[in-house]
Amino acid sequence: MDNVMTLWYGSGLYNLSLGQAVMIGVGLLLLWLAMVKKFEPLLLVPIGFGGILANIPEAGLALSAAEQAVHMGTADVLQQMAEALNVALPSGESLEAWRQSIATVLEDGASPALTRAANDVAMDAGYAHGMLYQFYRVAIASGVAPLVIFMGVGGLTDFGPLLANPRTLFLGAAAQFGIFATLMGAVVLTNVGWMDFTLTQAAAIGIIGGADGPTSIYVSSILAPELLGAIAVASYSYMALVPLIQPPIMRRLTTRRERSIVMTQLRPVSQREKIVFPLMLLLLVVLFLPDAAPLLGMFCFGNLMRECGVVERLSSTSQNALINIVTIFLGLSVGSKLMADRFLAVETLGILGLGMVAFAIGTACGILMAKLLNLISKTPINPLIGSAGVSAVPMAARVSNKVGLESNPHNFLLMHAMGPNVAGVIGSAVAAGVMIKYLG
Amino acid sequence: MQDDLLSEGLTLMTLGMGFVFVFLTLLVLTTSLMSWIIRRYFPQLHPQPQSQVQAQPRADTDLATPSPMEDTTLMAVIGAAVHRHRKRRR
Repeated sequence: MDNVMTLWYGSGLYNLSLGQAVMIGVGLLLLWLAMVKKFEPLLLVPIGFGGILANIPEAGLALSAAEQAVHMGTADVLQQMAEALNVALPSGESLEAWRQSIATVLEDGASPALTRAANDVAMDAGYAHGMLYQFYRVAIASGVAPLVIFMGVGGLTDFGPLLANPRTLFLGAAAQFGIFATLMGAVVLTNVGWMDFTLTQAAAIGIIGGADGPTSIYVSSILAPELLGAIAVASYSYMALVPLIQPPIMRRLTTRRERSIVMTQLRPVSQREKIVFPLMLLLLVVLFLPDAAPLLGMFCFGNLMRECGVVERLSSTSQNALINIVTIFLGLSVGSKLMADRFLAVETLGILGLGMVAFAIGTACGILMAKLLNLISKTPINPLIGSAGVSAVPMAARVSNKVGLESNPHNFLLMHAMGPNVAGVIGSAVAAGVMIKYLG
Repeated sequence: MQDDLLSEGLTLMTLGMGFVFVFLTLLVLTTSLMSWIIRRYFPQLHPQPQSQVQAQPRADTDLATPSPMEDTTLMAVIGAAVHRHRKRRR
């Protein structure tokens, strides 16, 4: 009978907490969105599945060795860990109270040295880091995965339309206002007392407005790792929602005549210009914003490999095989941050709401900027391509094209919209650099 | 403390947005300059890359599917060579 009871106490059903059940539901919801609604399936499938794995009771896949030891260790192990962490364990209290006090110290961020010591104690006692925890350390905490993905994105990017019409860079700049407006939104919500964000957290939330998955993961891994799960989920689901969020705003802000403006044919761009551009962008980053160097450096590198034409093999690996491999681990690692105690909070709702606002404001600012450029310059710009300034390559450009075709079935804006679209990628990376510089 | 947060947020917003604009304006200027210099002093003959691209597949198709005309001359040449080779061995 005792053995049966041991099995029962070790079973998932016995240990399943309400939060974990809800989070497994959230994981299933993400999978459903990916499979049925086709929301960025390449990312939401790994994220959703990782989320389910992270919430399996007792398995502790997303926990470090120390956290597992706190959860399951004997009194002896707990005492050793308390020693390593400099926590006083009042004698005479229950084991549960001990677990609680050590866990809070671990979660509230003991210094790296102490955390390492605690992990060492736990490993000596036979506990190991969970699988997803390892993935997270290697892929995201080190910053590697978003950067490698950015290299692949650079390889997939054609700067031709941007070089043919450099003014579209202004549209990419204007759309970044969404980032900073959202930051202010988060700060105001805190000020009113509805939510509780620090300035760094507010900055990480704002980056959702950049509509650039790797950038927002990179920034939040540096500024606010505790919010990473919610931020990544919000930013990828809104990228999938671009075709729903943007068109109403675009129609509201433009007249029918503006929407049917035909733009002049783009000039052909020579290969030399395309080769020099990434080098020149890198030089500007070196001179003015070294903090954006990891992101834009990898981006330029990927693009240079594509354009220089002598490293075909490296270029095709970085934009196909490598980006796919890294995406798998990035998704699973993000999933590991979907743990009940961190994800199920009012703040997550705030992040989801603010992300939506960020998108809307970015879209509106891009369009208004295009209208402004139209007033100033002689060559006409169709304001619809302004909305492509929020990155979300190439979805946002396709939306511009589609809304343009509604007003004038012979007006193809896709190539014109690719200019602001890649400008948006550069713009959000620059904004990320500024945030990291200011707050990091 | 709370007002501090608000003013910090405002600072970051103006600073960040300002910097994004300055940086991208610089990028517009340097890009235009770069394009102008390259088109003025290092022009690339536009047909050149195109002809390279076209030349490659044409060389391939030559081997794979020769036109009938070339085919007959090719057969004649091969035939003559084989004939000569056999003659010499005898």
